[in-house]
Amino acid sequence: MRFVARQPKEGINVSDTHPLVEAGTLVVGLTAIFVIIAVVLIFMVEVVLYFVSAEDEAKLFDGWLPEDLVTVSYTDERLLETQALVDRLVLHWPDAPYEFRVEIDDSEQANAMALPGGLVIVTQGLLDEVESENELAFVLGHELGHFKNRDHVRALGRGVVLSIFFAAVTGNDVAGIGIKSADLTLRSFSRRQEAKADEFGLLVVNSEYGHVNEAWRLFERWDIKDDSFIDLVTYLSTHPDSGDRVANMKRHAEERGWQSDGEITPLSW
Amino acid sequence: MNFGMPLLILMIAYFIGTHLEKRHFQSILKREDEARGFPVVSFDTMPDNWTASRSDLVSGSVVISLDYFKRVIAGLRGLIGGRIKTYEPLLDRARREAVLRMIEDARSQGYDAVFNVRLETSRLANATRDGKGTAGVEMLAYGTAVKFASRFANAQ
Repeated sequence: MRFVARQPKEGINVSDTHPLVEAGTLVVGLTAIFVIIAVVLIFMVEVVLYFVSAEDEAKLFDGWLPEDLVTVSYTDERLLETQALVDRLVLHWPDAPYEFRVEIDDSEQANAMALPGGLVIVTQGLLDEVESENELAFVLGHELGHFKNRDHVRALGRGVVLSIFFAAVTGNDVAGIGIKSADLTLRSFSRRQEAKADEFGLLVVNSEYGHVNEAWRLFERWDIKDDSFIDLVTYLSTHPDSGDRVANMKRHAEERGWQSDGEITPLSW
Repeated sequence: MNFGMPLLILMIAYFIGTHLEKRHFQSILKREDEARGFPVVSFDTMPDNWTASRSDLVSGSVVISLDYFKRVIAGLRGLIGGRIKTYEPLLDRARREAVLRMIEDARSQGYDAVFNVRLETSRLANATRDGKGTAGVEMLAYGTAVKFASRFANAQ
């Protein structure tokens, strides 16, 4: 018998799965797994929140200041007045479990943050932006609302837990991250959380001044200038549309029968 | 915006990589067809009654790089384990190309067959990322090329 050399069959050492099918399966599958893990972790944060009371939190974070997140501007004289304003506003929340501390961040972007342990951060940009005490009082009241609903711990907890998870997945140093990468997720309050904080802010402002005049004027101005003010993009992108917010606040104030005109308290600066 | 650039590179890498791979396979198939009938075996000895007039070491080596698309998919696969299907055609190409080059080496020197064929592979480290990245793989095929003095002399 004569030997006839034949070409071996193709594809023995190569899978016949199309590379795009392989890519699709992996991307979809892994995304699903990540989403499930993320949801479970967020749920665990809620469980922890249930067991850690606001009093414990205040004790735990006493004197805490995340220095890689906030660049404190100690020289700003507006600090004392802002602190005094917060202290006055807190009187309308009698059982507040926190001793609120105010710090001024030297960022030009108008923003305010609520951080664990009763730390209220306002940026210099915000203080430059507000035109009356009533406007500032509302923003502070809004942050107090986040404290009341404990959104601040929730957001921070989520941020930290998720960044640890992603660091573990990508093989980064887990100890090195934490608050820093939580920065972005910190701001991601839901619309519902923002609306509730707005309502609390209005309540506080109304109790303090007897009316809610100018409470939302900052947002009305932002709504008009939405396109022109790039600085505000960060604030607006993490908060609901200013126009919608103002409309919601007006409706809420009307329902409660709060007066929408009254004397405006000017700022000292 | 943040995903735009990597995604674009991924798509370009996929289309160019797929095209090059297809072309390479076509070339491999054509040259394998031409090399058909040339004995390439892994025996380390010749049959007793065969005699060689001369012999030498022949080798064929190829270095193939992986494209970004394959790398990304393999990275995802690395999270959960399993067959890295995007690397299989890559190594298949490397093996067959190396063997073909070895055959071409032997033929150009007038040999009749290659015995004791072995395949070696090694990873080429990338200079970036402290040598942790992979620049590509080298596949080396080598064997003993033989010129028969009396091929099939005793075979009737």
